[in-house]
Formats: sequence, C-alpha cells, structure tokens
Amino acid sequence: MSRRVVITGVGAICALGHDARALWQGMREGRSAIAPLTGFENQDMRVKVAAQVRGFDPAAHFDSRKLILLDRVSQFALVAAREAVAQSGIDFAQGDLRQRSACVVGTGTGGEVTNDECSRRMYGEGNPRLHPLSIVRRMMSAPASQVSIEFGITGPSFAVSSACSSANHAFAQAFALVRSGVADVALAGGTEACLTLGVLRAWEAMRVLSDDTCRPFCKQRRGLVLGEGAGMVVLEDFDHARARGADILAEFAGAGMSADAGDIVMPSDIGAARAMTAALRDAQLAPEDIDYINAHGTATPANDPTETRAIHVALGEHARKVAVSSTKSVHGHALGAAGALEIVAAIGALRDGAVPPTANFIDPDPECDLDYVPNAAREMPVRAVLSNAFAFGGLNAVVALKRAA
Amino acid sequence: MSDDVQKTVFAIIAKEAGIDESKVTLDSTLKDLEIPSLDAIQIIFEIEDHFKIQMPDRDPNFDTESVKGLIETVEKLVADKAANPNPPPANPPSA
Repeated sequence: MSRRVVITGVGAICALGHDARALWQGMREGRSAIAPLTGFENQDMRVKVAAQVRGFDPAAHFDSRKLILLDRVSQFALVAAREAVAQSGIDFAQGDLRQRSACVVGTGTGGEVTNDECSRRMYGEGNPRLHPLSIVRRMMSAPASQVSIEFGITGPSFAVSSACSSANHAFAQAFALVRSGVADVALAGGTEACLTLGVLRAWEAMRVLSDDTCRPFCKQRRGLVLGEGAGMVVLEDFDHARARGADILAEFAGAGMSADAGDIVMPSDIGAARAMTAALRDAQLAPEDIDYINAHGTATPANDPTETRAIHVALGEHARKVAVSSTKSVHGHALGAAGALEIVAAIGALRDGAVPPTANFIDPDPECDLDYVPNAAREMPVRAVLSNAFAFGGLNAVVALKRAA
Repeated sequence: MSDDVQKTVFAIIAKEAGIDESKVTLDSTLKDLEIPSLDAIQIIFEIEDHFKIQMPDRDPNFDTESVKGLIETVEKLVADKAANPNPPPANPPSA
C-alpha cells in the first residue's frame, strides 16, 4: 500500500514565540530571536548568545501533578503537540483511531535539565539521593511517551535520535507508517531543551559557537548559535483527512536519508546530496519542481560550503535558480528540534507564497554561491520545498513537501 | 621563546595528533601536519589544561598559523597570568 500523506496540523515553541504562527511570522520578517545568554550569570561563560525560549511558564500549561513528571524537553513537545492537534481538529476518540495512530518524536539530547539537576546534587552537593522520577523525566523516549499519553495514542510510538537530524528522521519514520497503512494518523516532530550548563560547556569546548550571532552562508559567519524548542505536526492519510473535511496545510511528499560513514564531525557533500536526491526520488519530484530549500545552514565554517556543494550536486543546473535560506539565523540551532522548527518554514512558504530570508547576512562568501534570499523575505509562488538536516556523525535526513493540491 | 613551553607544545601536538615529534617544527602549520580540526581542538584543550590558561576561540587559526604562533600565544597568556594571578572573569555578569 502506498498512500498520499498530508499535514493537517502544526505546532511549535521556540525563541521566536510559543506557537507556530509566531515562529512563522518571525521567520518571514527575518526577526532574530538570538540574544545574550541569560540564566548563567554566576558562571564565566564563553558562549555569549543563544536563542532561548523566554516567558515560558510551565504552570500555565500543566498542573503540578503532571509537571513533576516532565522535563523541559517534554513540556516543549506537549505544548507543540497540543497546538498541532487543536489545529487539525482531529478527535482521537473516534472509532479505532487511537490504535490507528502513531507518535514519533525526535530529540538529540533528551532530558538534559533533569540530567543536570542529578549531576549537581551528586557531584556538587554530595547528595546521593536523586529525585525518584529522574529516570522517567530524562529518558530519551519521555517526550514520545508523554505525547502518546496526552492524546491516548496506542499505535506505534517511539523516539528517534540522530543529533541535529532527529526531527527529520522522526518525520521520515512517521511518514512511512502512514504511507504504508500501518497508521492513519501520526503525531511527529522534534524537541530539545539543551541549554544547560553541562551541554553549553561541551559545546564551548568544541569551538564551533558564534560569539555574535548566526550568519549562515555569509563571509562573516562565526559559527552556530544554540537554540531550543519543539515542533510537531499531524501527518494524516489523505483520504482520511478529506473524509473528515480537514484543512490540508501541505502534502508530505517524501523523505530521503543517508549516512556519510566518514568523519564524526566534518560533513560530506556527497552524503548530504544523496539524502536530497533520495528525498526527490521518494517524492517523485524533479529538481525543477523545487522552488525553495530550507537549508541546514548552521553558519559553521564547514557546513555552509559543504551544503552549497551538495545542493549543486543534487539539483544540477536548477541549483542556480532555487531559493535557499537558513532560518537558524532567527531561531538558532535547536539540534534535535531543528527540522521540526524548520518544517514550519516549509509549510509557511507553500501556503503564503513567501520564502523566509537568511537573516543577519552581510557579505557573500565566494564558497557559497547560491541565492540565499538575504535579509528580506521574497514573495513568490512555492510549489515544493526541501528541508535539510545534516547531523554530527554524518546522519542526514531531508524531507520534501508539496503545496496542498 | 621559552624552551619549556616549546617542548611541551611540541609534545602535546605529537601525542594528540599521533605523529612523530620530530615532524613538528616551529614553521609547520597544523594544515602542513595534516591535523584534522577535531585533533586541533584536542590539542588546544590539552594546552589549556597543562598551562591553566584559556585560549581565544579563533586565535590561533588552526589552518594557517604556524606552531610558532601557537607557542607565542601560549607564552603571552602564561605571562599575563603570572602578572595577574586572579583576573576577573572574561565576561563579568554585568557585561
């Protein structure tokens, strides 16, 4: 069985705002939410800036009995999932839909806030007694479990982890479940709450963080800026969505995955290109059908020229014509949630006919020779989009979306 | 240039990159020595640990600057530390 799969709901939370609308508006305006890092004032931090979720009051979303079970990473996933489900109008209580639904959530680092608290108690305070719910808060699969519990989803539910590609790999798995008929509906996305002292220190040591802001594909780029948040979508069998009169936001046309099987940190243009080509083939799209690529675009010295070469390889002549932008310039790099925030850009571009810009762009880098839509959104019809994610460790996942027919 | 610093830096480069110490000269760049970036950040890490200093993020440039430049940076930071043993944090909270 091979069915058409559509997106009928989307939700998000990140530094640009606490819902998908705020995220898309911020992306479209090229309004960067990157700001001086706060919350670590007593530490001598090398990292200066981040894209932190601000003004988030967990108690406004969860009662205290629920909250005690939730690491920040699960809180984000639930907030995004509630928004996506509400928008889709889906009622999981109908018929056997709970059993016919799946839940796949990507995360790169899992329950790091809980992990950090445990470490502080043990090593900092010499206190061997950890909170009894530490395990269920911090396990990598906690967000997937919490989302399945929230909506009573009893079909296939699990976590996916591939560092910065986690969300796109999660979309690919959920898409396969719906397309093949294993499930009629899937809640899928990615979540990350990685801005803890331990994770920040580890990133500092890698020397890939920017000290000013995130400037993808630009000559003055100085590295990546960490972010956090979550994005979730409702994927649904096309006939199922049509039968209930759902508003179809976009068609999830295909996904492509590959591994570089090379260096643990240096990306490979060939590996990235193979994932893009696989996504095009899976979606039965030609390079000429793609009007916009939401790039991985981390703004590290290595990623941006490598991704540029990969786009040339995958799209050939058409690479010169396609609009490419990295919205990490406004919402930062949310690691395992990156693809889940960026699918909001893909959906927005398809629906509104506007490509969000690469913000903070100063001068072009000769090694990055594509059209990066610098600083200002471009109004143009967008028929199909690729959204790229390329992780440390060489794990690549690209998703292809089409305008709702 | 202090022999001690030079000797230690040569030894750290050789050990972390897994190359023979005799290949390391003052004029070699990390690129000449074919040291990948992941090894380069480990070299910096070990140097920082050994001398109890903090190297700036983008200086020395891993690709183009010579081992001599690296040693000069270390010597300057070691001298700064000796002159001012308890410096304020690099980015005080008020900044």
